[in-house]
Amino acid sequence: MRTLSVRDKTKIISQMSDLIPHTHLQGICLESINGEELTLRLPYRKELVGNLETGAIYSGVLTMLLDHTLGTASICCDQIGATITPTLDLRIDHLAAAPAGKDIFAVARVYKVTRRVAFTAGFAYCESRDEPIAKATGSWVLMPELQFSELFSAGPGAQQ
Amino acid sequence: MTLSDLIHHEPDAQTLQRWITKVPYATYLGIKAEVHDNEILFILPEDKKLVGNPTLPAIHGGVVGAFMEQAAAFHLIAKMDNPVLPRIIDFSLDYLRPSRLRDTYAQCTLTRQGRFIANVSVTAWQEQYDKPNAIARAHFLIPET
Repeated sequence: MRTLSVRDKTKIISQMSDLIPHTHLQGICLESINGEELTLRLPYRKELVGNLETGAIYSGVLTMLLDHTLGTASICCDQIGATITPTLDLRIDHLAAAPAGKDIFAVARVYKVTRRVAFTAGFAYCESRDEPIAKATGSWVLMPELQFSELFSAGPGAQQ
Repeated sequence: MTLSDLIHHEPDAQTLQRWITKVPYATYLGIKAEVHDNEILFILPEDKKLVGNPTLPAIHGGVVGAFMEQAAAFHLIAKMDNPVLPRIIDFSLDYLRPSRLRDTYAQCTLTRQGRFIANVSVTAWQEQYDKPNAIARAHFLIPET
């Protein structure tokens, strides 16, 4: 399995952001790639609020963002290559409320790959990596027979 | 009027719907609630904006999780003896099959409500209840009043 370059990963992530309707609508974008660790950013929007009294983003939004970020990390994992990885399970610990008006960053990496399963971990933060607002672990089923490019083969603007 | 002003024990479907309008993200997802024989049914109507896999097409797994987490919170408020806004501690989700682009349903069970902590389990399905798309468990902190 060839190693994915930062350029390959950037291309995969931008394709995902553009062609997955839900994440495209949320404006989820790549913040940085640091080796096997990647960071995505979710811009603050009033539609994402869970508590009108505080303006805090709804906790379920963090579940959606972390699901997406951990899943993206498994799709971009060097040991796996760009294949489709359905989610097996996901666990989120909600550590603090997301402050009103702040973008949320989600960081994820794959920490173990077996023949059929990728184990991932990540966290979300607003102002400082040292003060996470949520932590997540998730397992993903590896299906090497489903190449990433096939996911978007029918999508508009799909690139080979 | 905020959500905390509206919450009360054993609400009807209309009241649940009013709660949903007080949560922008629940409104954005288009969540609906019905009450059948005292059982609350949450519905995530089919909507293209929820798609996570355009080829199948399937609803984004994270959206299904967010829907289930929201259902668990509303269910808990509805079943509390003295309703307050609970705060989520953790959420654990098992995905069993992809959620196709169609209506998704969720039903919850308040497995245990202690003084500070509540445990709520959630089942989400599309075709039939005994073929769930995902199951989840949430712990909530019940703020002391």
